Order: sequence, then C-alpha cells, then structure tokens
Amino acid sequence: MKITVILRLEPVLTEELELTNDARDVDREWIGLDMNQFDDQALEQAILIKEQTGAEVVAIAIEDEGTDRMLKTALARGADTARLIPMDEYDVESRSSRAMAPIYAMAIRELEPDMVLVGVLSNADIYGELAPYLAAHLGWPQASAISQVTLGTGQVTLRQEYAGGRSARLALQLPAIAGLQTAAQPPRYVAGSKLRDLLKVQIPELNIEAVPGADLAEATTLALPDMSGAAEMIDGDAQEIANAIHALLEEKGFV
Amino acid sequence: MQTLLLWIVTLATLVVFAWRFGTRLQPLFSARPVNRLDRPGERFSGMLGDIGLHRRMLRFTYSGVLHAMIFSSFLVLFTAIIESFGSVLFPGFTLAPVGGETWIAILQETFALLILVGLGMAAYQRLIRKPARFEGSRKGDAILIYVLATGIVASMLLEFASAIAITGTPNPYRPVSSLLAALLGQVGVDGHAAETLHMSFYWAHVLIILGFLAYIPGSKHRHMFLAAPNIFLRPLHPKGQLPAVPTLEDEKTPSGIQSFSDFTWKDLLDPLTCTECGRCQSVCPAYAAGTPLSPKKLIMDLRDGMSTGEAHLPIVGGVISEDVLWSCTTCRACMEVCPVHIEHVPKIVEMRRTMVEAGTLEPMLQDALTSFQSQGNSFGKPAKQRARWIKGLSFKPVDARNQPVDVLWFVGDFASFDARAQELTRMVAELLHQAGVDFGILYDGERNSGNDVRRAGDEGLFELLAQQNIDTLAGCEFNRIMTTDPHSLNALKSEYPALGADYDVVHYSELLLDLISAGKLTPKQGAAAQVTYHDPCYLGRYNGGFDAPRDLIAALGHDLREMPRNRKNSFCCGAGGGRIWMDDSAFHERPSENRIKEALALGDVSYFVVSCPKDVVMYTAAIQNLGVEDRISVRDLAELVTESLE
Ligand code: SF4
Ligand code: SF4
Repeated sequence: MKITVILRLEPVLTEELELTNDARDVDREWIGLDMNQFDDQALEQAILIKEQTGAEVVAIAIEDEGTDRMLKTALARGADTARLIPMDEYDVESRSSRAMAPIYAMAIRELEPDMVLVGVLSNADIYGELAPYLAAHLGWPQASAISQVTLGTGQVTLRQEYAGGRSARLALQLPAIAGLQTAAQPPRYVAGSKLRDLLKVQIPELNIEAVPGADLAEATTLALPDMSGAAEMIDGDAQEIANAIHALLEEKGFV
Repeated sequence: MQTLLLWIVTLATLVVFAWRFGTRLQPLFSARPVNRLDRPGERFSGMLGDIGLHRRMLRFTYSGVLHAMIFSSFLVLFTAIIESFGSVLFPGFTLAPVGGETWIAILQETFALLILVGLGMAAYQRLIRKPARFEGSRKGDAILIYVLATGIVASMLLEFASAIAITGTPNPYRPVSSLLAALLGQVGVDGHAAETLHMSFYWAHVLIILGFLAYIPGSKHRHMFLAAPNIFLRPLHPKGQLPAVPTLEDEKTPSGIQSFSDFTWKDLLDPLTCTECGRCQSVCPAYAAGTPLSPKKLIMDLRDGMSTGEAHLPIVGGVISEDVLWSCTTCRACMEVCPVHIEHVPKIVEMRRTMVEAGTLEPMLQDALTSFQSQGNSFGKPAKQRARWIKGLSFKPVDARNQPVDVLWFVGDFASFDARAQELTRMVAELLHQAGVDFGILYDGERNSGNDVRRAGDEGLFELLAQQNIDTLAGCEFNRIMTTDPHSLNALKSEYPALGADYDVVHYSELLLDLISAGKLTPKQGAAAQVTYHDPCYLGRYNGGFDAPRDLIAALGHDLREMPRNRKNSFCCGAGGGRIWMDDSAFHERPSENRIKEALALGDVSYFVVSCPKDVVMYTAAIQNLGVEDRISVRDLAELVTESLE
C-alpha cells in the first residue's frame, strides 16, 4: 500500500499584511511561507496509517522558498521518502490549485500510489479545489472534509464531516483522493535532533513535464479586513456587564 | 570480655552500615560517566569554604548558626567517640598523652553544651517554627536523629559524671560532668553503685553511637558522609553552560532517561546527598506559584525511585511527572542556594529532552518550537520581518554582514518582534547612534540564540539555531557583541564556546555605562526618582552581571532601593526555560506578580527598573493584572537613559 501526501507552503497570514500596489495580491516582500495546516493534518494521517498498516508514505511538494525544509520535516515525522518537484518561480504566473493540478496529477501518475491525501483547503485555495481537480485529472474517486481514513483492500472508508456535528461514512474504490480536514491525532512534534540528522540529506527531485492549468478567474481587488469599530467595550461592574451582554444577545435574537 | 563484645557489635554494625550504604550507592556504578576530578585544588578550596565557613548555610541565619553549632561540636566530640571505642577495642589506648584529660576534656564539655543548645534550636525550628520549606520533608527521620544525637551526648556526659562520682573528686577539666556527679552524689550514687552506673552509661553511649551509624545510610543524615564529596565534585564549568547530552562512545542516538543508569553518576549522587532542608523549595518561583514542582521533592522522588520499589515506573512521566518537569523556569535559584551543591536544572533539562524526543510536549510549547523550526523565531513571524523594528529610526543601522563594525548587536527575538520591546530596541539604537558607536546588526541573518530552546529540552533544534548564528557571525568582522537580552547573552557567552565559538559579549547595561563614563552620553542630573531594580536570572545569577545596571542607575542620579530578594537571590519573573511559551493559567500566583508585590512593599518606589526585553513584557503585564498602574511602572534601562538625556 502506498500513500502520497501533497504538502503546500502558504503565506503566513497571521499579521502585518500589506497589499501589492495594484491591490490584487498580498505583498510577499515581508511575508514568510509555512506548511498549510490542513496538509499537516494529511501528513499526520498518512503517518498514522503507516504506523497501523505499514503503508509506504511519499511526501511531495512543488518547489518554493522553504520546500526543502518542509520535506525534511515530513521525513523527520516518518514519511519514507520525499520528492521535490522543481519549479522556477519566474516560470509560473499563478500557483492556484487549478494551475498546479496538472503537475500534481502527473506526479501522482508517476508515483502510482493507492491513496492520495491532501489538506482539504489552504489560504490560497479557500474553496478546497485541489482534491476535486486532481480527481478530474486522474479520473479517481475523491471526497473532501475527511476526518477519518480506514484503508482496506481495494477500498477505503472515509468519514466526511458536515455542519452541526453530523458526518457520513463513505466507501471509495482505490486508488482514491481524500481532502483531509483533521487527522485522528494532532500533528506530532519532531525533535530538532531529527531535523539536525537530516541536515545533509538531499531531497530527490521529481521532474514533471506538464503545463500548468490556466486560471478561470482572477482577483481584481483585494482588501484587508477593516477592524476599526469592530469591538465595543462594555464598562461597569460584573452585574452591569452581564446585563449589557444579555441585552445585546436578546437584541440580536440569540436568546 | 568487654573488648571481645565491643569488637563483635562494632564489626557487626560496620557490616550493616556498609551493606546499607552500598546498596544505595549501587546504581551509581552502572550510571553514565562524567568527569568531575579536574581542577582538584579549586574543588578542594571551595569545599573547605562551604563546609568550614558554612558559606551557603549561613544565608539562612537561624539554621546556619544552629548547624554550625552542631557540626563543630560533632568534630570536637568525635574525640570522645575515639576515646570510648579506642580504649576498649585496644586496651591501653588513651588520648590522655595528647591532652585527653586536660584541654580536650574542657573542649568536650563546652561543645557538649553547645551541641545540646544546637539540637534544642533544631527541634524548636522543626516542631514549633516549622518554616514552610520543611513541607514535604520527612519529619520523623529528623526527630529520630535529634533523639539519637541527644542520647549520645547525654550518655557521654553521664558516663563522665559517673566516673567522677566513683571517687567523688570533681575534675576541674570537666565542670559539667562534675556538676552532674555532684547531683548523682546527692541522690546517693557513689563508689560501687557509681561504677555500675559508669559501665551502663558507657555501653549506652557506644550502643547509641552504633545504632546511629546503622541507621544513617537510610536517613537524610547520610549527608554527614556525602556532603563533602558532593561539594568537591560540584560542576565547575560556566554556570550558563548546560551539560551536553551524556552519550556513550558506541551510542549513536542518546536514549534519553529511560532508566536510572541513563543519568550520570553525579546525577545519582545528588539525591543521596540531599538533606531535605528545603532551601531550594523556599526560593523556587515555580513552587511559590503553586505548580506541582518543588525542587526538593523532585530530588527526593528521584532518590526514592532509585532506591526503592519504584524502579518499575518510567522515570519521566512516572517517578517524576511531566507537569513537574515543564514547570521549571531554569532560574537556578535552587542550585545557587543548595548547601550541598545539588544540580537540579541539568536533571530537569535532561528529562525534558526525553519528552521532546518522544514528542510529548505542552501544546503551546509545541507551537513555539515548530515556529522556531520553520521561521527561526517563536513569534511565528517570517524571518524576513526580523529587522522590521528599524522602521521609524532616524538612520539605517549598518548591515554587519556587509561591513566591519566595532560592536555587533545581536538583537534577539523579543527585542525584534514584540511590539512593546521594539520601542526600547529603537531607543537603544538611537542611543548608540547618538553616542557615535560603530555598530551593526545581522538583519534577517539572525536566528533565536537557542538559549531557551535548549532549556525547553530540544537539543537538536538548539544546535541548528546556534550553528546558523555561528556561521553567520563567522562571516562578519567585529570586535565584540552587544545584546539587550540576557538569554541571548548567556547563549553567546556561555553556550556557544562549547560549539567552538568564542566571542567577547557585553550586555547593553555595560555598554551604556561605558558611554556615560566616557562622556559620549551626558545624562542631566536632577530628575531623580526612587527606583528598584530586578536582576534577570540570565544576566545576574548565570553571568554575574549585578553591578553595571546598578552603577548605571546611580549614574543617572536615581535612588536605588533594593528589594529583599536581590542579586544572587533575585526572584525569577517566570519567563525563563521556555516557560514564556507555555500556559501559565494553572499558576495560583504568577511569579511576576509576586515580584511586583515585593517591589510595592518597599513603599514609595515609582519605577520597577528592568534590563531584559522579556522582563518588560512580563512585568508590564503583571502590573496591569494587579491593577497597580498608578503606583508603579516598568522602566527599561534604555528608557531611563533616554529620559535623562531629554
Ligand atoms: S531552576 Fe528555578 S524554577 Fe527550576 S526548580 Fe530551580 S528554583 Fe525552581
Ligand atoms: S536539594 Fe539541596 S537545598 Fe534542596 S532540600 Fe536537598 S539539600 Fe536542601
């Protein structure tokens, strides 16, 4: 059994964002990249399956600033192999899921896994398009918002999350693709000693001859959230504050 | 007959003693090696100072004095023990030719009284005064020892007294015994009766001594034998340098602490030496905050674990629970105060390393360390943003990677990323600029120094961060490194040398003081305030930087009022050892708030002066939490200097 995990770097959007002059993207000058947290869940789930069933885990990523470090982290976490898909930053117009899907799809064809795990969404893919695009390219079954993965022979059972705490159990024919929401356990910590041991390791490349897909839509303007006036401070003693909160909740129809 | 009998009981006792001691020392022989025999002269003189002069003991006056009384009396009364055993084991042996009946006798009488007073003080302390530091110590053990020791001294005096009573002639060299003999005479004990009594007291005396000896290996009074060697074998490497992971030659990856044999033998000697005095507990900020950590209990638990049936438990997470280990701020107060030089912090860190290797971390700590791995700082901010604080400066600092400088400023994470600390960083930059200092920074080439990462237990990550800094620094030309952050200072000054890098490192308090002395900065006199000063653990206790900040405060014309816990006895803010990245909601009282109360108790102090970016953050929050903003405010040294120039 072989599992491929797709790992993506995404801009750290926690603070101090600035927009580019044309207001169509965030200014990447001061921004760092970090592993997409849903991909992190997918990686953890793959490792958990490996620990239970002995499956082989291959982590792949498309080259960007810091991909090497991210793939080494994956190795330290327990992935058997990692492959870096080279990409020159000036060669690509867009790194949207639609643009990258043909490249990932080609890599998957090459690696021939039984199962592909990827984060359900990312900052740059808020609608969770990557898994469905891949399924379309490969002609494989896929399901997103997955919180449980049980691999069987020839098929996989998935738990798909819905709003309100409901979920469905789905059985998919292998090979299949799952967009992971959460792993069965939170991602584990890898001690620095494991990373240090991997310092000199060279991540092998996976050269893909594929043309990026064209975007169907483009951002025309981006705006930073307006935070001013969003908070209202309630003064007074505990009783007064409680009364004010109660009145507000009533007014908004929550109670 | 008597001789034979005494030989038999003495030898039997010695066998019991050796066996009881031996079984306790056993684990040391399969433990990991560590060299503690270098610099023997320094070891010996330090040991003499700590034992002979009771240097550390006297920091707690009452118990220091009573211990000095008991200890010195014990040395003197040892002559009486030699005489008692010698004279019967080797018939004809006597100390009389060297003064056993004259000056030694009078010394014995004096010190017998002294030890009784000392024992009385000890019992009063233990039973009536009951200082909180005894909480958790074994009271029964202590009391039994008082009883046995009193028994030894009393039987000795009565033995002497009954000897005098036989003839009824008082001995001028034994005034106390003579007085007791007179009392015996009054109740009609003389002549033959006195002889019988003498014999009984003699045997009572030697038997209590032998009983004491047989009992000691299982008692905290083992320290009578182990304190001196443990002090002799104390660590002599720089205080700020944690020992590396102990690895055996044929070992590729260290196992962590899985069994007691994974500790070094010195780590196992420490618990056996512990006197349960609780001094460490009384100064521990984590204990004061109500966390489950007491450094004393930690050492006692290790001791009990290694010598009793708890060997089946895992050590990390069993004998010592995980939350105990995460509670430590690595402030070193415990080690500084321990009279027998027990090393708590290296053991705690070694056990943390075991947890980190296994991936069992406090959730918040895990986030911080993950962020170090990906961004090189704990703020989760891109490395690119490290030098963003320079926005708003009146000049652009030199990039020390491209141009030689006199002073290379290692800025540190808090000073670079924390919004409040950034203001102070800018102030320092303006001060240096104004004073014409030729300085530069590393911009995004700097990484966290790794000081606290190492103390949080991630050895590999520390090495990665340290190596990145060392490599970057190797490409720069500079004379010395300056930092405002004591944690970075400790790493650069004390930790990096172990990785082969040696720098001249100064704290900004020293540099600012130099600039004022050299007339490059001229503070206005006049606006003096009543201030107090907090010694950061990693500047003070770890690196001896006590004076420069105080001299600087004085040079600015302020009136420094010391808090009771100052200099070596400073009380940690609670942020060290990685604690700043962990959840402190379970603390009953945050150490920083405890400290602010200490400052408020001084009366009219308007500034709480600090010299560490983390302290600025910690104490500003503490003052807000306590709601005392109108009574006291935090001032960084840089702020004080800047204000006095305006
Ligand atoms: S280093 Fe400080 S916090 Fe840790 S045990 Fe010692 S006194 Fe307590
Ligand atoms: S570790 Fe040291 S200070 Fe603490 S109880 Fe033991 S002997 Fe006393």
